[in-house]
Amino acid sequence: MNAALRYSLLAITFAVLICAAVVLRLGASAAAEVPHVEFNADNVGPREIEDLTSQSIPRDYGFAWQTMEQALDENRGGLLDGYFTGSAKQDLKARITSQVKSDLHAHYRDRGHKLEAIFYAPAGDAMQLRDHAQVDVQVLDGSKVIYEEPLNMEYMVVMTPGADRWLVRQIQAVPGDKP
Amino acid sequence: MKTLIAVPVVVAVVASALASEIHAPAQTSAGSAISISTGGSGDATFYLIGPASATKKKVQAGSDIGVDGDELDNSGRYIAILCASDGCTSTSFFVNPAAANRLGLLVHPSRVPTGKANGISTVAFVFDNFHNLVLKPQPIKFSITPKGGKEVSASRESQNGVAWVRISSANKEGATKIGAEIGHADEVRVVQQVAADACNLRIRASRAKENYLVETDPVRDCSGNSVPDGTVVSFTKTDSAGKTTVDVPIKRGVAKVEMPVQGQARITVASGVVTGNELEVSASR
Repeated sequence: MNAALRYSLLAITFAVLICAAVVLRLGASAAAEVPHVEFNADNVGPREIEDLTSQSIPRDYGFAWQTMEQALDENRGGLLDGYFTGSAKQDLKARITSQVKSDLHAHYRDRGHKLEAIFYAPAGDAMQLRDHAQVDVQVLDGSKVIYEEPLNMEYMVVMTPGADRWLVRQIQAVPGDKP
Repeated sequence: MKTLIAVPVVVAVVASALASEIHAPAQTSAGSAISISTGGSGDATFYLIGPASATKKKVQAGSDIGVDGDELDNSGRYIAILCASDGCTSTSFFVNPAAANRLGLLVHPSRVPTGKANGISTVAFVFDNFHNLVLKPQPIKFSITPKGGKEVSASRESQNGVAWVRISSANKEGATKIGAEIGHADEVRVVQQVAADACNLRIRASRAKENYLVETDPVRDCSGNSVPDGTVVSFTKTDSAGKTTVDVPIKRGVAKVEMPVQGQARITVASGVVTGNELEVSASR
């Protein structure tokens, strides 16, 4: 009888641990969710966009935002290596370095992007896009929230092709949409 | 009773007058210093969050906070936050790009055949001194200088920080300079123009012991430029033994091969999509 009780307790403990791990894992996945990107390339030129490129651009831009949000939240500059290059990567890494120095981090809740291709270079080696992004931003000093605001932002973006994906080379917020 | 009402009102007015406030100019230019005014009193913490920076410093609420130009190099949205004993307050402002003074130039391809219409793509991105994309339209002068030739230029206005042209390659091979210029800044790339496909490909055959030596005339494109050594020329022989193709690279301007022939044979030549003349030869000759 004692043995049965002991085994039952062990089984319950084990089940609780599994549940806790699943909950933690789900929480981590939700934080790292790929944002929704609605892509429009109807007015792009001078080069016509290829089918494969029109699938790659929103996919890779979504991954870029996902990794950027995670990098700025966790102050992990290395996460930017996957989908950023050039001045975009350099600037974001500089931001993370100074966030670390100031014990700051930023938390984003991404509500989606309307991405419009506006220029595709004749040789296919660069694409310029305009992004209407909706994000809720929190800035935290340690664990204290010092700023939070829902934002409608407009970004001018330049992406260039890498070995197996498109990379964000320039991302610049421009005055346009207001919160 | 009046006193009871008046005291809390006065306290509230004084408290609101002393509460932390922060005001920044709505917009500024990259690299320009600004002053951010604050209200309230006592020790406070000032935060400035920008595209490439996030700084924190102790300040006195109620004083003006100077922000140096080098803290505002990056164009984009900045958030200024003031946290005092009564909580945090914030304001945001935009840093616009400074004057256009740099170009990023993409020229493609690096080698192009001569005489190819719209064969060279040239895209210029307009930046300020801090590598911010300048979105206001700017006049860009594109130029092309062929080897030993005169410069030809054309102006284009940038849209959203980008200007582009398509350029046809010249008829003469050699290094061609492609340039773009804005104000005092210019960027130059070199495109190697190489001979296009062979033109008027001709072969001749001569007896060499048991075989025939088949040789091309100097291989040139339609503009008279020598097709580069290494370009493959295919010789195909059809005789009673069947069909044989030999690929030979051009060496010193010509391609040649020795071919054994059985009975009557027909020899043809091709380079890429270009075909040349045909020869009829006989083993008995």
